[in-house]
Amino acid sequence: MVTFIQELVNSLSVASVIILMGIGVTLIFGLTGIINFAHGEFLMLGGIGVWVLVSNGLGYIPALLISVALVGLLGFLLERGLFQFTLLRPNNGFMASLGLSIVLQHVVIRIWNSFSKSIPEPLPGVWEIGQIRFIKMRVVVVVVTAIVVAVTFFTISRSRYGLALRASLADRQTAALMGIPIRRYITVIFAYGSAIAGLGGALTIALFPITPFVGSEMIMLGFAVSLIAGLGNVAGVVGAGLILGLVNGMSGAYGTPEWTNAYSFGLMIVILIFRPQGLFGGTMGPAIE
Amino acid sequence: MTVLEVSGIRKQFGGVVALAGIDVTIKSDEILGVIGPNGSGKTTLFNTVCGIYRPDAGRVRWNGEDITAKAAFQIGRLGIGRTFQQAMSFPALSVRENVQIAMEHGSRRGEGAIRPWSSPEELLAFVGLEGFADESANAMPFGNLRRLGIAVALGGRPSQLLLDEPAAGLNEAESAELVQLFRRVHQLGVGVCLIDHHVGMMAELCGNLIVLNFGNKIADGPTDTILRDAKVIEVYLGAQS
Amino acid sequence: MEAQWGQPLNKDSHSAVAVALDAAERHGADGESTRGFKPSWELAAVAALIVIGVLALPWLKPGYRTLSFALTTGVTAIVLYGMAIPFGQAGIMSLGYAGLMGFGAYTAAILSRDFGMNMWQAMPFSAIVAAVFAGLFGLPSLRISGHHFAITTYVMCELLRIVLTNGGKFTGAATGLDLPPIGTVLGINMDKLANAYLLVAVFMLASILVAYLIGRSSYGRTLRSIRENEQLARSVGINTNLHKVVAFMVSGLFAGVGGNLQAYNYRHISPDLYGGSISLNFALMVMLGGARTIFGPLTGAVIVTFLPEVMRIDPVDSRIAYGLALIAVIMLLPGGVIAVTERVYRRLTETVIATRRVGPSHAGSSSARGD
Repeated sequence: MVTFIQELVNSLSVASVIILMGIGVTLIFGLTGIINFAHGEFLMLGGIGVWVLVSNGLGYIPALLISVALVGLLGFLLERGLFQFTLLRPNNGFMASLGLSIVLQHVVIRIWNSFSKSIPEPLPGVWEIGQIRFIKMRVVVVVVTAIVVAVTFFTISRSRYGLALRASLADRQTAALMGIPIRRYITVIFAYGSAIAGLGGALTIALFPITPFVGSEMIMLGFAVSLIAGLGNVAGVVGAGLILGLVNGMSGAYGTPEWTNAYSFGLMIVILIFRPQGLFGGTMGPAIE
Repeated sequence: MTVLEVSGIRKQFGGVVALAGIDVTIKSDEILGVIGPNGSGKTTLFNTVCGIYRPDAGRVRWNGEDITAKAAFQIGRLGIGRTFQQAMSFPALSVRENVQIAMEHGSRRGEGAIRPWSSPEELLAFVGLEGFADESANAMPFGNLRRLGIAVALGGRPSQLLLDEPAAGLNEAESAELVQLFRRVHQLGVGVCLIDHHVGMMAELCGNLIVLNFGNKIADGPTDTILRDAKVIEVYLGAQS
Repeated sequence: MEAQWGQPLNKDSHSAVAVALDAAERHGADGESTRGFKPSWELAAVAALIVIGVLALPWLKPGYRTLSFALTTGVTAIVLYGMAIPFGQAGIMSLGYAGLMGFGAYTAAILSRDFGMNMWQAMPFSAIVAAVFAGLFGLPSLRISGHHFAITTYVMCELLRIVLTNGGKFTGAATGLDLPPIGTVLGINMDKLANAYLLVAVFMLASILVAYLIGRSSYGRTLRSIRENEQLARSVGINTNLHKVVAFMVSGLFAGVGGNLQAYNYRHISPDLYGGSISLNFALMVMLGGARTIFGPLTGAVIVTFLPEVMRIDPVDSRIAYGLALIAVIMLLPGGVIAVTERVYRRLTETVIATRRVGPSHAGSSSARGD
């Protein structure tokens, strides 16, 4: 039982990273229709950025802030320079993002190398409550994720900004007539989602070493959680992320780590077939009869 | 003659009652009009008959056979052809291919009259689209797109046509041409049932009218009588003028 | 209110923006090529050139490396022509084709190992197994559409890779399986690369021909009707669900044959050949060349396979250049290389014709738009 609870606790930090990935995907894919396979590379860059800065003597926290800001800026530039031209043809945007993913990955390999990179633990030590051990940094990751989720959720669902955003999604033409600047919203969402992915990477590297290839794996988990949750559903991503985090943790703990992704993917397929609008209902489910 | 019988059809979308249990009989020897304010359930009626929606209650019978549970494509094969409000076509395909597709599928029983056209070009000529066969459907002006929709429906060799606002967005001259086209279609022995807001056109074309309001049928009978009916004037015609 | 109930089901309704912009796209730069493969003397000339070029390649002394790349391209192209049936004709993108190819390849390897079958004996089984799984992979398309479906099939591919990797002795786990050589065909020794290449080339040309015939047939038209307007297709009596699954199964036959040929030519297969990223690469090739054009898939396969090779630079630099080239091509040539080439060609010929005739014709453009 103690092992089980311990694994549960450990799963939470894995779930956090998946959730950060999923939020970006659900916002960008769900709300703007851009399918960005390079979104995983943003996570990778966030982590690599922290590694570079920390290796050059910067503290973890300033390194994290700078790295996240840079990834957000990169997202902004890519939306302005690339993805805004593919809004009309989502398939082309999807293809361009594949190219982008290859470029970002190999630029990192070109400048540094393809080996895994790690930084010294920014916050070493554990808290013990009873027999359960909480690794401090993991707790920080969970708390930061919770804050990001809360901010995102309330911005999207409660604020005037979020209201205008959702209105513009329900009826783009009417929204444009009402003077809602949809193009700018798309840019902001894209940059914000990218920065969140960068944050995911910056937090990940505090827990595990990462390689330049981490993005390709994370992007699939990102798609999986956002589709399991229902596209555009930020709160749902938390639920789905927790489920996948648990699946990850438990299959690792109980001896079938090589099947971990199979469980996540299988779950996603089953849910998409039986509930195309996602487990928690997407704002924008696919066409069903 | 074929008979399409709708009895007690009820359809609800969330809290909105689109059809509140109505009975309609559509015979192929008449031109029947369906009128009513927006949101009165006219299109829902067509969509329910055509298998796009499954009704919450009630039955649809086609020549006595219960077709309520049939899928949209099966209804198309039975010889019930339809057009859509949005002037649908297969946009990137040529006009000829649009019609060919329908002619290669459609009704399988060969019921109803023998059609006088044996090639896509002849059918296109029948609806007044001669010379357009090689155009892209999406390159055609709107009026022609409406005609193409009718040609596609006719290509399936229907014995009953359901036309959803076939004249919407057309000018007077174009509507008048459509009236002639529908008369010719009807002379072939094809039942014609249409929804439209052009009361003038409906009065000229239809022998009988059905009036819907808030999902209820409020009147049903010969056109002259209906258009003088006080209730109809109140809910629909009054609002029009 | 009523207008909304009657709205057509939109393929891309996962996103409001995509929906709103969809109409604009439909009226966009879709060429002649979207209507199936129209025969013309130009098409015949290009086809003849391709046939001659493909078959003559071994006599041009291309070197071992180029020839083996060409063989890979040929095997890939077979799968791509299958993929282009549901994607180009019916408009449904699946990212499961590396996996389906894997079913063909593993079927061939396992039948060879356990039943001593040779390539020809195993080929029908490869094709059928891949077709059955193609149908299964395609089933979700009845419920989910657009990119949801594409991602689902990608994930199915990844699932297959995990199953193959953990399949123990039956699938050879991560190391994979070995196959015997093809041996001789009609007295020709297939151990020689040039001969093996020609065998693949013949299969590839045949698959182009089959894809062409399907595109020209009324069946191709039926599939295009699903792509263009599923609801209207149903209303004229087309069983769209059945046709989607059948289209996938037909494309699976191509993938199965491709997988079989790949297995026997590589003589060693492993799960990594059939994962999601390979599928993505296939999708890239098809889209790059143009799924709706008859020579698009081949062009895409050639470009993607040979581009890094032609650039002959450090592998990492070559990947970067490849990614950048890819982005550039997509941004500059939306609709695929072939469609754009075709359009340029048509514009050139039209200019020539127009200067010969007395002014251009205006057939049918005089009708006024009613309101």
